[in-house]
Amino acid sequence: MHLLVQSIGFGVAAGAVLSLGAVGFTLQFGISNVLNIAYGALMSIGAFLGLFMLGLGLNIWVAMVLGGLAVGACSVLLNRGLITPLVRKGMQPFGLVIVSVSAGIVLEYVIVAVAGPATQSYGNLSGATLNFLGWTLTTAQVVIFGIAVLLMVGLHLLLTRTQLGRAMRATSSNRTLARSCGIATSRISDIAWFMSGTFCGMAGIALAITIESFDFTLGSIFLIPMIAAAVLGGVGQPYGAMIGGLVVGVVSSVSSAYWDPAYQSVVAFGIIIVMLLVRPRGLFGSSSATRKLLA
Amino acid sequence: MSSAEALALEVRDLVAGYGDYPVVDGVSLKVPQGKVVAVAGPNGAGKSTLLKAILGLVRVLSGTVLLGGEDVTGVALEKLARLGVGYVPQLDDVFDSLKVIENLEMGGYLCDRVERQRRIESVLEVFPVLRSKLHRYAETLSGGERKMTAIARVLMLDPKVLVLDEPTASLSPEMSRVVLEEQVRPLSRMGKSVLLVEQKAVAALEVADWACLMVRGKVEVSAPAAEVLGDPNMREIFLGRSTSQAAAEVAGTE
Repeated sequence: MHLLVQSIGFGVAAGAVLSLGAVGFTLQFGISNVLNIAYGALMSIGAFLGLFMLGLGLNIWVAMVLGGLAVGACSVLLNRGLITPLVRKGMQPFGLVIVSVSAGIVLEYVIVAVAGPATQSYGNLSGATLNFLGWTLTTAQVVIFGIAVLLMVGLHLLLTRTQLGRAMRATSSNRTLARSCGIATSRISDIAWFMSGTFCGMAGIALAITIESFDFTLGSIFLIPMIAAAVLGGVGQPYGAMIGGLVVGVVSSVSSAYWDPAYQSVVAFGIIIVMLLVRPRGLFGSSSATRKLLA
Repeated sequence: MSSAEALALEVRDLVAGYGDYPVVDGVSLKVPQGKVVAVAGPNGAGKSTLLKAILGLVRVLSGTVLLGGEDVTGVALEKLARLGVGYVPQLDDVFDSLKVIENLEMGGYLCDRVERQRRIESVLEVFPVLRSKLHRYAETLSGGERKMTAIARVLMLDPKVLVLDEPTASLSPEMSRVVLEEQVRPLSRMGKSVLLVEQKAVAALEVADWACLMVRGKVEVSAPAAEVLGDPNMREIFLGRSTSQAAAEVAGTE
């Protein structure tokens, strides 16, 4: 029983990082309708920017914010420099997926060219051990969970209480109709790519804090569970991705406790398959969102 | 149409289509201020493509679109909204995942908060039924309620010109008449100029001031709506027969 409780605690902590990444991934997809596989490489860039800023002597939490913003800027550049021009030329979604896969590989090898292929580590930033609800967690895990919750609440308030957030939801729901209301959807798209990149970069740094070592493939490996979380919650649904991240995190952690941890990815893939079979729209996806995804 | 009437929208010799293939072939029409102009015709006549070309959603190969005398050919849809053109598409005409109130707020996106609130009250006076549905998600509305929300949303823009693409599509004949009589006809009484594309031609012409009947990308008849409705020959050729029959009839006269 203790093992189960403890693994749930670890799962919640890991799920917070997953949620951060999955929300960014799904937010950008929901607005631009582009499945950005380069997202994993952007996450790796975030982790390496964190390492660079730690080397400059910056506090890790400050580095997390600055690294996130820098990756947000990279994400906008990726959209403006590559994706949008191809969309304007009429490239179909499948072509865009291939382009984003290629861009991801190029970005990973840019990291290798700059930082080398060796594994890296932030060192021990875990902090003191805390006991809570029968869970034993590190201070870093608790702070990351708190940051994730704050960002989710902030995103919720943005989407529901501000005209910008409603315009983002409107653009996600029906881009042409949003344009007919006078909404500058290309600007909304830039904002979505920026926010998505920021969440992605922060998730990359958060992940690097919680693991012993990482290399340039960090984000690509983490991409599958993030997509699983997004699919579970309903692709294009930020709230769904929040819950999906926690569920995938907890299920993966519990399965690792009782099964070989090497099968964690199998659990993530299994969740995608079962969810697509049982409820293709995901936990929170509407039928219109599904139509949009399948269109 | 009197030449002295001030024109809200004018289309001159418009050729437009997909790729280099013109679906709309040299169309000219005028929408006077405060009038409803209905564009009717069989499936494939190019009606919806004409609207999309006017709205900058389809490439214009040649010709001109004038808004209040100003050339707006190929101008982007969001800029047209700022210039006072409201658009209600044929099917995806509301933001499904937003509440009705949020749909209205998006319609008034270009206004400040105070003006937006004033316009919401004003629109709800026109469509009081919506008041009890403000916090429902648009995807849960019936067909008639959706159309009402769509027209209310576009009125939030306070447009000079409304472009309506088959507002009765997917509605029953009874609901179609309700939409045209109770939602479209009052628009001209509010001083709005309306360009209405409609496949249910007779119902559309009954609420219109002027009729443009299109076949195969061209306007074959441009006349007062009452005149078209009152002419048995025209009624039979354009309004009372099947798509293929009407097209064949026109092709035979060319």
